[in-house]
Amino acid sequence: MNLFIAVSIGLREIASHKFRTFLSMLGIVLGVSSLIATMALTRGMEDGMRTFMQQMGGLELVSIVNKEPAGRKFEFANLSPGRTLRDAYILRESATLLTHISPEISFNTVVATSMGGNPERRSVRGIYPDHFVVNMHEVAAGRFLTPLDIEYGSRCVVIGNTVANQLWPELSPDRVIGEKMLIDAKPFEVVGVLTRYEREDEARARKAGMRALKRNWDPFRVKNETVLVPFPTMFHEFRSGAFPLDSMDSIKLETLTVRVGDLDFFRAALDQIRSLLDITHRDIDDFDLETREDWFDRVERSVRASRWSGGLISAMSLIVGGIGIMNIMLASISERIREIGIRLAVGARPRDIFLQILIEAILVSFIGALVGIAASLGLIEILKMISPTENVPVLSFEGILFSVAFAIVAGLISGIYPALKAARLDPIAALRYE
Amino acid sequence: MSQIHLEGVSKVYRVGDQEIHALKKIDLRIEEGEFVSIIGPSGSGKSTLMHLLGCLDKPTTGRMEICGNDLSRASKNELAVVRNKEIGFVFQAFNLLPKLDVVSNIELPLIYSGMPAAQRRVRARQVACDVGLGERLSNRPAQLSGGQCQRVAIARALVNNPRILFGDEPTGNLDSATGQMILEIFDSLHAAGKTIVLVTHDPKIAARSRRVIEICDGLIKREYVP
Repeated sequence: MNLFIAVSIGLREIASHKFRTFLSMLGIVLGVSSLIATMALTRGMEDGMRTFMQQMGGLELVSIVNKEPAGRKFEFANLSPGRTLRDAYILRESATLLTHISPEISFNTVVATSMGGNPERRSVRGIYPDHFVVNMHEVAAGRFLTPLDIEYGSRCVVIGNTVANQLWPELSPDRVIGEKMLIDAKPFEVVGVLTRYEREDEARARKAGMRALKRNWDPFRVKNETVLVPFPTMFHEFRSGAFPLDSMDSIKLETLTVRVGDLDFFRAALDQIRSLLDITHRDIDDFDLETREDWFDRVERSVRASRWSGGLISAMSLIVGGIGIMNIMLASISERIREIGIRLAVGARPRDIFLQILIEAILVSFIGALVGIAASLGLIEILKMISPTENVPVLSFEGILFSVAFAIVAGLISGIYPALKAARLDPIAALRYE
Repeated sequence: MSQIHLEGVSKVYRVGDQEIHALKKIDLRIEEGEFVSIIGPSGSGKSTLMHLLGCLDKPTTGRMEICGNDLSRASKNELAVVRNKEIGFVFQAFNLLPKLDVVSNIELPLIYSGMPAAQRRVRARQVACDVGLGERLSNRPAQLSGGQCQRVAIARALVNNPRILFGDEPTGNLDSATGQMILEIFDSLHAAGKTIVLVTHDPKIAARSRRVIEICDGLIKREYVP
C-alpha cells in the first residue's frame, strides 16, 4: 500500500467525522497559532529594540566615561587631567576610525523668553556640530549649529521641542525661529527647533487624537528637553577663562561621545581611542569606554527568554493537542475494529494498518496546523493593533515551518500507540466484533 | 505437492486457566482444483480449521503449507501476503465496508497488493461485471440486496485472481433461491479450475462438492465423496 492511498483513505475518514476531527485538532490549532504568534511577537520585539537602538545613536556610539583608576595607580591619579577638551582634539586629529567626536559641557540654569516669561530650569549644553550627528538629531525648523557658530562664539541656541513648547506654547516651531530667549538672563537667538521625538505608539495615539498609555520611562525625554549652544559661547558666557588655546587641558568635559565609522573596525577603533587617551591621561586608567553592545546583549537575552517561555507554553499546548489526537484515534479504531478486520482478511498487512492509522493522525495534526496558521494570521492582526508599532509582530517563514513541523511530530508521536494497537488486532476477533 | 498440506496440526486456545483443544493433530491434503466442503456441528473446530487454512491464524503445533509456503513459523505480515495473493474469502456476513461503493469494495485487495490506481479500477469493474454487478458499480452495500452483497464479496475474493477460494457459510444469510445462485457461482468457479473450500453445517450444500470432510471434537471424523 502506498502513501497516496493511505492519505486518501485518511482524508475520507476525516471527512466523515468532521466535527469530531475538528474538536480533536483544536489543541493543535491553538498550539500552532500561539507558537507562530509568539515567534512573530518576539521577532517584532527584537526589530523594535534594534530600531530604537538606532534612534538612540546605534551601535556605533561609544561614550568615554570617568572611572576610578585601578589600585596600583590610585596614588598618581592626580597626574591625569581627566576628560578634557584636549581629549576631543587629539581624537579628532588622530583617531582615524572615528567619524564624529562630540565633547560637551553643561550648565544647569534658568531659561525664559526675552521678556522673562515661562521660566524653567534646564540643562544647557555647550556642544560642537558633531553632537547633532552623534545624537541623531533632526530639526523641525531652522538649522543646526555650524562650525561658524563655533568659530565666532555666536549667541545662537537650538532647542528641543518640549522647550520650545513650554516657552512659546502658542507658536509653531517655525515661528519660534528668530525669537530671543534668555539663558541665565543672557539673550540668545533661537536658530533651530528640534523634531519632536516620540515613541511610535505615542505618535499614533497623537494622530488618532488619543492619549498614549502612560509609561514611566520616556527614553526621548532628554532629547526633547535639550538646550544647545555653541561650545565656546557656553564657555565664555558661563565659565571664566580665555578660550580655547590656553586652557585645553583645564576645560573638563561633562560628556565625551564618539561615533565609530565602520562597525567592522569597532574593536580597532576602541583600541585607537584607548591608546590616544592613554597619552593625554598620562597612562592613568581613569576612563572607560561604554559601548551599546552590552546593552544590546542584555536586550537580546531578554527577547530570547520571552521567546523561550512563549514557545514552551505553545509546545505544551501542542503536546496536549497530540494527546487529544491520540484520544480520538483510539476512539476511531475501536469504532472501526470490524473494518480493520476486513482489511486484514483481504490481505492488508499489520504494517499497512499501522501506516494508515499513523497517517490519519498526522493528517489530523497537519490540517490542524493549517487551520492554526490561518488562526495565527488573525491573531497577529490583533496583536498588531494592541502592540506598539515599533514592536509590530513580524510573521516569519521559519516560524510557520517550525510550528508545522512541531505539530506533525506531535501528531506522529500521538499516532504511534493507536496505530500499534490497531495493527496488533487479531483478524478473526476483529471480524467477529460487533 | 499438494496445494494445502496440514501435518499434525493442533490449535490450542487458552481461556483463563483452561486450555481448549480446538484442533487435535489433524492431517489434511487438498489438491489444486478440488471442491471440498468441511462440515460439522458448531464447536467442532471447523471454523478454526477454516481460519488456519485461510491464513487468518497459525497452528499451535504442526506443519502447514499453503501453495508451497511453509506458514508454521510465518509472521503476521507474511500471512497477510499469502491471504492477499493466494486466497479469496467469502463470509457469511459478507463483511463489506459500508462506506465504500461496490467498485471500491472490490478493489480493496488490490490496494494491498500494490496495483496502480488506474489498473485497479479497470480490474475491479471487470470482476464486478463477471459476477453480474455491472449496473451497480457505484452503489453502497446498504443499497444492495443480500445476494448482491454476497456477489460483491465474491468479486472481491476473486479480484486478485487467487488459487483458493474459501466460503464460510456463504449462503447462511441468504434465502434458498439466492443461495442457489451463489452456489452456482462457486460451481462455475470450480469448473474454471479454482480450488474451493466451503465450510457449512448444511449437508445439502456439502453434497454439491466432490469431497466432504466431517469434523467433530477437533478431529477429522470421516471423509467421503457425496
